[in-house]
Amino acid sequence: MKWVASELHTHTYHSDGGQSLSELAAGAAALGYACIALTDHNTMAGLREREEAERETGIRILPGMEWTTFYGHMVTIGARTFADWRKAHPRRIHEGVAEVHRHGGVAGLAHPFRIGSPACTGCFWEYEIADWNDFDYIEVWSGTWAPIKTDNARAFALWTERLNAGDRIAATSGRDWHRQEDTDEPLSVTYLGLADEEAPFADEAVRALREGRVSVTIGPLLTLEAELEGRKIGIGGVVARAAAEASHPLAVTASLRFGDREGRWTLPAQIYSLRIVGSGGVLAERPVGAADGDSRFELDAGGETWLRAELWGVARDARTMIAFTNAIYLEGAEQGGDTP
Amino acid sequence: MRMEIVNEVGPSDARTHLRYPFEIREPSAALHIRFAYAPKTLEDRESARRLMEQSIAQYVTPEQRERALENVERYYPLKNLITISVDDAQGYRGACHRQDPEQLLFLSEREASPGLYPGPIAPGQWCVTLSLHAVVTAKCGYKLEIWTEEETQP
Repeated sequence: MKWVASELHTHTYHSDGGQSLSELAAGAAALGYACIALTDHNTMAGLREREEAERETGIRILPGMEWTTFYGHMVTIGARTFADWRKAHPRRIHEGVAEVHRHGGVAGLAHPFRIGSPACTGCFWEYEIADWNDFDYIEVWSGTWAPIKTDNARAFALWTERLNAGDRIAATSGRDWHRQEDTDEPLSVTYLGLADEEAPFADEAVRALREGRVSVTIGPLLTLEAELEGRKIGIGGVVARAAAEASHPLAVTASLRFGDREGRWTLPAQIYSLRIVGSGGVLAERPVGAADGDSRFELDAGGETWLRAELWGVARDARTMIAFTNAIYLEGAEQGGDTP
Repeated sequence: MRMEIVNEVGPSDARTHLRYPFEIREPSAALHIRFAYAPKTLEDRESARRLMEQSIAQYVTPEQRERALENVERYYPLKNLITISVDDAQGYRGACHRQDPEQLLFLSEREASPGLYPGPIAPGQWCVTLSLHAVVTAKCGYKLEIWTEEETQP
């Protein structure tokens, strides 16, 4: 698995950003990202500059568009064709999602709890959702210094609630990056897990989002793997166990990598807390130092329908979540998981 | 082709799209759009406060409301926001989602204003859509002018 440091929510002067795509890509490269999604408001005009910007900076640019509608902002990535954001009706957003999917793209809720009109027009998500599984992801960490923001805490809680309800939906970060400006606030990174490095990059990156091979951090890269009969199942994957086996301990390994984007982020020297969280809450917790390494857990996961890893610690004098993985789903648990 | 629209909208028109279809009969070198609306901002702080109180009640959790109200000035002045998007007979030709209350835009075969897609200015049914994201002032007037290259600028 190759983990690609990505920034999935950006704008240029083709909407209300104050930067060209090349300036944006150069800024992303300087911060150690390998990939950005261009998600201008309601236009894909900026993609005309894609090849040049990729060539100049070495950054991979995913085609995208932020549906900037009256009832919510929906980030779409990877769609080959335009889908009409103006048709979005508060009770019929699924039709728009279906069209994005038909065109090969993925769709996510952008900053769903940011204050809405008139402060930020359409920023608060008001679309009725009949089936959360229809959405590919929720942008749970929006902006800079994302983990401590109350709007993001609501979005993160929403994601957890959906996982508990049996939905399979990913969680991402997005800076909503409009211009090049220096900040000393922690920046989030969404790592996309590329399973097939031979496949065209953009297709594989979109597949990672669709399948939930995603890990989010303001520091080290955190990943998670479960073991089942010698087989390893990574983030976004499904551990299917016979009902009789579901009560056996489940081995999972959380891995930390501090060297990625070296020099582009700092956290105070400390002992972190590594947690394995599931539908039943915190299942295990262990102190870990700031060194690359694997932590193996034997979990009593009989009642769990999903698991994720979280890294907690101190950043900017606040105790906060530093990183979280997306979920590994469990089937055969006593409560039963939904099979899509 | 030349078209000029002058109109006025109010808060009850917010969250609607106004479509202005027009016909291009002959291929043209360029299509020009000039759009201006005013006022841009709501200067009356009492009205702004009322709107923000409603917004905070709707969008902010009860425990955060007090803090949101204390910091409400960060949202001022509240703004009207009307954006433009363009369609030709074949499909979407882009959008200009930005705050500028005056925009002079163009589309042509090889170049176009930021947000819009270059391409032929081909005969057929075109449409300019105004999306009224926010109308916070009691009235907001706008003027939309559209003309092809061959016409003189109005």
